[in-house]
Amino acid sequence: MKPVISIEQLSFTYAGSERPALSGINVTVNPGEFIGITGPAGAGKSTLVLCLNGIIPHFQRGEYQGRVWIDGLDTVDTHCTEISRKVGSVFQDPEAQIVASTVEDEIAFGLENFGMEPEMIEARITDALQRIGIEGLRYRSTVELSGGQKQRVAIAAAVALRPKILVLDEPTSELDPLGTKEVFEVLKQLNQEYGLTIIVVEQKINILLEYIERLWVMNEGRMVADQPPRQIINQPELLTGVGLQIPPVSELVYRLKAAGYYSGELPLTVDEAYWALLKCRGGKG
Amino acid sequence: MIQVEELTFAYPNGLPVLENLSFEIKSGEFVALIGQNGAGKTTLLKQFNGLLKPTRGMVRIDGMDTRKSTTGLLAQKVGFLFQNPDHQIFLPTVAQEIGFGPANLGCSREEIDKRVREAAVQVGLEPYLNDNPLFLSKGQRQRVAFASLLSMRPQVMVLDEPTTGQDYREGIEIMEMVKALHRQGHTIIFVTHDMELVARYAERVIVLSQGRILMDDTCRRVFYQPDVLRRTNLFPSQIPCLVQRFDRYQEEFGMPLSVEEFYKAITDSGGEEYVHCS
Repeated sequence: MKPVISIEQLSFTYAGSERPALSGINVTVNPGEFIGITGPAGAGKSTLVLCLNGIIPHFQRGEYQGRVWIDGLDTVDTHCTEISRKVGSVFQDPEAQIVASTVEDEIAFGLENFGMEPEMIEARITDALQRIGIEGLRYRSTVELSGGQKQRVAIAAAVALRPKILVLDEPTSELDPLGTKEVFEVLKQLNQEYGLTIIVVEQKINILLEYIERLWVMNEGRMVADQPPRQIINQPELLTGVGLQIPPVSELVYRLKAAGYYSGELPLTVDEAYWALLKCRGGKG
Repeated sequence: MIQVEELTFAYPNGLPVLENLSFEIKSGEFVALIGQNGAGKTTLLKQFNGLLKPTRGMVRIDGMDTRKSTTGLLAQKVGFLFQNPDHQIFLPTVAQEIGFGPANLGCSREEIDKRVREAAVQVGLEPYLNDNPLFLSKGQRQRVAFASLLSMRPQVMVLDEPTTGQDYREGIEIMEMVKALHRQGHTIIFVTHDMELVARYAERVIVLSQGRILMDDTCRRVFYQPDVLRRTNLFPSQIPCLVQRFDRYQEEFGMPLSVEEFYKAITDSGGEEYVHCS
């Protein structure tokens, strides 16, 4: 399969800074992957996202080395508008990215900017709302929406442009637990039903591990792990070594395993931990 | 320390955001205030330092009716840490920022310096006193904001999502500082969406739902009534969730909150059942 993203030897140092924000990143992403990025503050997560949607190098000054190909296009030689047809972006603060006063207008905004015919816009809006499952919000005022609803509108606006890739930088950091779950459910559905390639930066490790298929752990500008969550959780030091937490249920079973009470794989979720505990009870539970 | 009596609050021309709340927080308590976005958490916190005043009912801080006292007076009793440190940092050096409150109180130069040093030591910012806060990391700026509250020596610390936007280590650092203050006798009230933090730090949990109190109990008892929490779309932290998957958890494990407690319950009581199976 031809990769949808290919990054070769990417390094970036912000103008005025001495320390590189990214150093020597090499990864490829196949169409339809669902990837999570995590890492401590200053790891380079947001910088990497900005390299994917072309903001770097087009709008951010600094020293750029290496190559990023998005669907075959080198981002250095490609106009940012062209990149934005391929890569949809959703950011942390829903307030900062919503510009229109109704949900419908918000979704139309990007389409109008791409010069699309009104009838086409109408069809795209209906389709995007349906894909995200928020048809009921169509005529609502954006200011009355909850945080989770606003982020889903932001995702719908990005999806309406039919990008191949959706990148999200901590989309749930302002959200309550329900809003967080709503966002991840929508991402999962977009990934599974429409094959959208998704890359999401997230600090909430418990929910991240439950949904994604591949995890990038970053630290000090480098990619320190790139594996499926199940492999990562079975080497907890990959996370704890860079100051991150592993989910409490994984930690519990890790300790039981270390003490000889259990000898299987470590669980990623509460549900898996339940089955792990039953197994170590010898079926008595 | 804090008395809330039949508090109702509505923003001008709006529906009530808080409806008929009554509770007390005693000196030295460590309280988490949880609830969905829009439940009224921040609105309630702002009643504690007089930024907002009751529409009906009364809020008393250390005996002072908030409607009859100034925010200046209340600020000496209640320190307020906002979610975003940049909303409360505005001076060119860390030392000036931390000293701003005491200077406004009319403290002497020596007293200000003493308080700045003490607060800086408490949050580990001593090496940065002459730096510009803008060039510090977000976690460090949060500590600058925190130290500038400490220098006012408030009895009560109110923290609105103090760990949002920070990584795990920074979040824990802030909460450990808060815990140290609690051990020194401060009253702590914090808002968070992170149930793992609640389980780890809070002794008492107040659950707000649509401007009313849904539950007000020890953290343990709140997290062991998931049916009530679910009514406002919240879930307990992971360990209580896992424990409650077992039908007879009360007899077998009790009500553990932490990994440590559950691990002990498994390895101590269920010893023979858990022997080295594979």
